[in-house]
Amino acid sequence: MSMASQQQGERQDAAVLPFSGLRVIDLTWHVAGPFGTRRLADWGADVIKIERPGVGDPGRDIPPFYEDQPGLERSGLFMYTNLGKRSMTLDLKSERGRQIVLDLVKDADVLVESFRPRVMPSLGLDYETLRAVNPRLIMTSISNYGQTGPYRDWEATEITSYAMGGAMINTGHPEREPLNFGGRVAAYQVGAVAAAATSIHLLSVEASGEGDHLDVGALPVWMGAIDRRQSYLMGYQYGGGNSTRPWPAGAIGSGTWICQDGYFMTTAGPAMFPRFMQMVGMGDLLQTPEWSTPMARSAPERLDESLAVIVPWMLERTKKEIRAECQEFGVLGGPINSFEDLHNDEQLQHTQFFQEIDHPTTGPIAYPGYHVKLHFVDGSGLPARKRAPLLGEHTDEILRDVLGRDEAEIAGLRSEGVV
Amino acid sequence: MVSTGSRRLPLEGVRILDITVVWAGPYGTQMLADWGAEIIRIESIKHFPPTTRGMMPRPDRGMPSLGGGSAQFPDHEPGERPWNRWASFNAHARNKRSMTVDLRRPEGQEVFDRLLQISDGIMENNVPISMERVNVTWERVHKVNPRAIMIRQPAFGIDGPYKNYRTFGSHMAAVVGHYSFMGYRGEDPSLTGNTLTADAAGGAAGALAFSAGLRHRDKTGEGLFIELSTAENFMTYLGDQFMDYSMNGLRTEHQGNRDPIYAPQGVYPCVGDDRWIAISVQSDEAWRAVAGTVMQRPDLAADSRFATLAGRQEHHDELDVELLTWTVTQDAIEAMNVLQANGIAAGTVMAESDAYADPHMKEIGFWEELTAPEVGTHLYTSTLWKAKNTPRRHRWGPPRLGEDNEYVYKELLGFSDKDYAEYEAAGHIGMDYDLDPAD
Repeated sequence: MSMASQQQGERQDAAVLPFSGLRVIDLTWHVAGPFGTRRLADWGADVIKIERPGVGDPGRDIPPFYEDQPGLERSGLFMYTNLGKRSMTLDLKSERGRQIVLDLVKDADVLVESFRPRVMPSLGLDYETLRAVNPRLIMTSISNYGQTGPYRDWEATEITSYAMGGAMINTGHPEREPLNFGGRVAAYQVGAVAAAATSIHLLSVEASGEGDHLDVGALPVWMGAIDRRQSYLMGYQYGGGNSTRPWPAGAIGSGTWICQDGYFMTTAGPAMFPRFMQMVGMGDLLQTPEWSTPMARSAPERLDESLAVIVPWMLERTKKEIRAECQEFGVLGGPINSFEDLHNDEQLQHTQFFQEIDHPTTGPIAYPGYHVKLHFVDGSGLPARKRAPLLGEHTDEILRDVLGRDEAEIAGLRSEGVV
Repeated sequence: MVSTGSRRLPLEGVRILDITVVWAGPYGTQMLADWGAEIIRIESIKHFPPTTRGMMPRPDRGMPSLGGGSAQFPDHEPGERPWNRWASFNAHARNKRSMTVDLRRPEGQEVFDRLLQISDGIMENNVPISMERVNVTWERVHKVNPRAIMIRQPAFGIDGPYKNYRTFGSHMAAVVGHYSFMGYRGEDPSLTGNTLTADAAGGAAGALAFSAGLRHRDKTGEGLFIELSTAENFMTYLGDQFMDYSMNGLRTEHQGNRDPIYAPQGVYPCVGDDRWIAISVQSDEAWRAVAGTVMQRPDLAADSRFATLAGRQEHHDELDVELLTWTVTQDAIEAMNVLQANGIAAGTVMAESDAYADPHMKEIGFWEELTAPEVGTHLYTSTLWKAKNTPRRHRWGPPRLGEDNEYVYKELLGFSDKDYAEYEAAGHIGMDYDLDPAD
């Protein structure tokens, strides 16, 4: 596997990344918030992650763990979602801890938090207080259901989120229970939307000199921007009724097929099926009235007849062979890959997607790379990334360099357990 | 709460050309349009991009494949111009504009250049070869407008062996490994169905990238070329599984509806047809509340086998049966309410009708009514987030094909009535498809 940091030249001058010069105070935890602020750090923001002394972000307790052994510096999820940030520990419940947050906010551009909506006000860190300290601040509040409304204080996990968002009703088999997404994809999407929201509203600050408080509720994201949900909601408005889980291979040429070395997924349907027919050797039939129009191809008999050809055709071929044929004939499809397949994938090797990043716990290992490639006009690209911080790794440096505290003050804060 | 009332939207005054298709690209321009950007969709009456404004321009009425989900027309009626009435397009197109021009001809290319000169940039998500055929490339864009930001968002990349591979989000999810762990436990992947969240993820990435590009340009005076592989972007959503592979090697089992740190967890049937509730027990205390308080089963609450996460994981099958025995007697919404009242993470698997009836979504203002010509009056989803100091409403509904031709050609580009009529006669300007036989 090839893991040069970038195909293009690395950008040497970090001062000209899109978010360089931005300071982000990061009070997020778990998955969504850290993933969102990671995207800001990826493009140059100085993200200062505030963690609870001794315990840290609960994300440090989420698997996978290195060698399957839990530990504060062993969570792969934490290492991944916190790349490129600085960590300082701080007791937010102490008055001196609160004052340090306010001091940080004074010179910050953004504060992102993902506590329950009642927490920031209870800490004396509500938006109005922060705004009084820094009127240009963008405060991004990420929560499960938003800062208002009857569900404001409700609980949520990945699976209940996916359920309430609604896309789950379409996921899985019609004779089985609806199926979870797998992984923590819904949470990642909330973080990605929060990053976009923050970036968009920062442009407003440049123009008006005034900040804002952004309310990123996960439920609106799950309904508006998970899978096809928004389109299905529109379809219901148009009189389409409720949808459910479709039958496998229920639309002609669409399904997940068993092939020689695994599984292969295709999508066609009556409108796009002619290309598929040509691929599997049914092209001659296109001239017959039974197959010549989308209406004709949507008859149930055509579905059965197509399966009699497609199933053996798939069984005789490998994933790679089917993929090549799909591309030749313009059929939409892709193999069901494992992570092992991906590490050997020719496209990902070409784009040098994976990045090798060192960490005291794991040594150098492969991480998924940047979510986009930025091509700057001088031909350079994004620089290599820094590993996730150890708990409190940058506490002293931030107190000293950002807040101007001297060694005696820092020692005092430490002995009182504030940091 | 302090509100400055009439504050400008953050992207007001930003103009973005939009050659996006299907979902991934349009979702990104939707977020930018919602917050004030002028998104000008560049379309053509000579070419019909499939699954964008419909599966085909004029579908047969009553085709069975048109039922269900997003492939709907208002009242099942395609109408005179079905492409203006397709739910899947109209859902994301509010607040955008539409103009038509045939980029395959020189005078169409000239219009493109003139528009680009007065725009902040362009977003597209086509197969690279399609854009190269009409010379919509970074080299050209940068030459015409050195301050322009360009997002190219192909499935896999603007070069490489998969450069021109055609896929939907579901196939990208397959390719990047999502279906290697998403699926029913112990079952074949063909039961998993397909999901298209690579597209939705691509939308969030596009909105972030374009706004970051604007910031970069304002700071440096330079444009920016952003290569957004929808598949690679979605891989960044599978971070924990990739890290697990890197740290601990290959696992192949499907996760089903279970979770490593919450148990029991599952989706259980309720009273009625296709009614379900997802329940996720987050702690020992939560389990005692589910069993003892909600299900009124003190025997389960006191059973030491279920007192810890490890114990509940070990006996998960048994707990599934106990939960199901309770849920089948319950209404899906009432069960959610009672579980949440007791501090348990639970959510009804919401059908579309549940979403519109939901009191929370109503109260937070998630639905906005819009009236669109040739479509009618309907509820549309609102923005994904709210900004306290910047109240907003949708400005208009989905634009019809070519809706804004007069605005774009005459107001923006200064076309005379005579020039406009010539472009109309030449098949650039129009509101009805007039497809070339090759399409």
